[in-house]
Amino acid sequence: MPIERGKRILMRGNEVIAQAAMDAGCRAFFGYPITPQNQIPDYMARHMPEVDGVFLQAESEVSAINMVYGAAAAGARVMTASSSPGISLKQEGISYIAEAQLPCVIVNIMRGGSGLGNIAPSQADYFQAVKGGGHGDYRTLVLAPWSVQELYDLTRLAFDMADRYRGPVLVLGDALLGQMMEPVVISEQVVDPASLPDKPWATTGARERPHNVINSLYIDPPDLAASNERLQQRYREAAQREVRFAEEHLEDAELAVVAYGTSARVAATAIEQARARGIRVGLFRPISLFPFPSARLAETAARVKTMLVVELSAGQMVEDVRLAVEGRAEVHFMGKCGGVVFTPAELLAEIVSLAGKDGDDGE
Amino acid sequence: MATKPFTYDISRGFLPGHRACAGCGQAAAVRMVMEIAAPNCVVTNATGCLEVFSTPYPESAWGVPWLHSLFENSASIASGVEAALRKQGRLENTRVLAFGGDGGTVDIGFGALSGMLERGHDILYVCYDNEAYMNTGVQRSGATPYAASTTTSPAGRASFGEDHPKKNLPAICAAHGIPYVATASMAFFADLKRKVRKALGIRGPKYIHVHVPCPPGWGYPEKDTVEIGKLAVETGLFPLVEWEDGEVTRVRKIKRLPVEEYLKPQRRFRHLFRTEEGKAKLAEIQAIADSNIEKYGLAG
Repeated sequence: MPIERGKRILMRGNEVIAQAAMDAGCRAFFGYPITPQNQIPDYMARHMPEVDGVFLQAESEVSAINMVYGAAAAGARVMTASSSPGISLKQEGISYIAEAQLPCVIVNIMRGGSGLGNIAPSQADYFQAVKGGGHGDYRTLVLAPWSVQELYDLTRLAFDMADRYRGPVLVLGDALLGQMMEPVVISEQVVDPASLPDKPWATTGARERPHNVINSLYIDPPDLAASNERLQQRYREAAQREVRFAEEHLEDAELAVVAYGTSARVAATAIEQARARGIRVGLFRPISLFPFPSARLAETAARVKTMLVVELSAGQMVEDVRLAVEGRAEVHFMGKCGGVVFTPAELLAEIVSLAGKDGDDGE
Repeated sequence: MATKPFTYDISRGFLPGHRACAGCGQAAAVRMVMEIAAPNCVVTNATGCLEVFSTPYPESAWGVPWLHSLFENSASIASGVEAALRKQGRLENTRVLAFGGDGGTVDIGFGALSGMLERGHDILYVCYDNEAYMNTGVQRSGATPYAASTTTSPAGRASFGEDHPKKNLPAICAAHGIPYVATASMAFFADLKRKVRKALGIRGPKYIHVHVPCPPGWGYPEKDTVEIGKLAVETGLFPLVEWEDGEVTRVRKIKRLPVEEYLKPQRRFRHLFRTEEGKAKLAEIQAIADSNIEKYGLAG
């Protein structure tokens, strides 16, 4: 049954990611089973044929990411999806894709780690996502949605960013976002792949032009240095244009909770409850994790006295927050590991405790 | 009324109380394999149904040393265990077994398995083949049979289901020239146990590929697992064959039942009985069975 566009409908996060990709003109998807992202390949298997696209189940994540390499080299808008252990297995391919300057979208529906861990929500792949993951000096641009609607909007945006910066863009969700059903508006505007700009670098056959080469091998160090620098230049450009964040109640806040994705959703509830008690607390939610909204966080830190970083990890993004604020605010951390998710009550207690401490200090 | 306390013999290797689905063919097969292999063995286990239902840690149904890993590396980890035990002089009294499902063996673990066979490790690798990725929700694998409907090879207006024949991994293993390869079915208890006993009496790499029907994945009543398993064999769709040093040395003769008797009770094949195209596919599946019967000399 075709989905109803332009109206609020109920859909599952993973299925919305798949629909967003097809609406962005993605006509090639390479997947492999792993929970909790299975509805993405399942949806692609059913619906890619309707738009004359390719769904292909690889024999491993290694194979899937290298199929992405191939399809991206051939000029297609292409995506793969997996969950934490599977994303680890893809890292070699991601490093090669980055240095070979190939646009693609990679979805990580994070689960508890390390090792096989479990299939519950986690944010413990932050370092892997934003610091590189594989070998070399590359980065992936990282978008972190917090709702099913943002899964749709940011997955579409990821394809545009991948083409613009000619590299991998990672959509970083988690088990809760992927499995959750909530209202979403699927856009009436869909991208016709034929309308997308040409990719003159693509290896599509060289009958009427010089042949193209896709490569990440530069034996001569100065040549590799030039290739590395080209990537760094793109990251600097992305840092100028692609920083995304959201703020709630920060105008009068003395305490800023910093959280992304699922953690931010729980935090938003706890913040409303705290404000009802008269506590001046707000939410700073990074949406782009790389580039990281460091400048805005530094400004915020200069206004609030205290920051509380909340993550479903042992403390990863908190390092980037501390680097950004450079001591302008006291940075506290609250984390949950192993697939355990905060309750609003737990966060509220921490907020109350931090606000109370500040009050006692008499500042 | 006094009740007798529940007791079990841990030396049996694979113990009751695990969380397999009712009618799970894999759980029954593992129990039979372990009745032969336990207690003097170490088992490595790729992720999949078996790991999840046997070990929701800290609970575990294993009565022998057991190592868990991810999908692709059961054969590699077993190779490491075997190499270390050999150096420690402990291999004489200890058997190393590597277990994986069809996805972990036929697809993602294929390279690691081939390396293990080629290097000649003294390991029995057992693949439990339920013909799809059941633990993650019935996605097709390289072992999914032709025309079966799965979530990533869904039957519908534009598709008759899986469009490639089942990969013949046992024959590929036999092509490595290893001492012993066998296919087995959980529905033929004595045959399965005989093959495990035989394999464990041979030094070097051994491979047994066990067909294990799956009620939720295949879509038939739980009570029929053994019956379905027998039908797969008796139609010629899952031949029971043994190879030694790369040559076929023994096969189980079959009744040569029509493939419809095996396919019809299963939800994954029901689309074949509804359309003209489906009927044509039934003829193709019969041709696969006939080819197996001819190739392995299964006719009685």
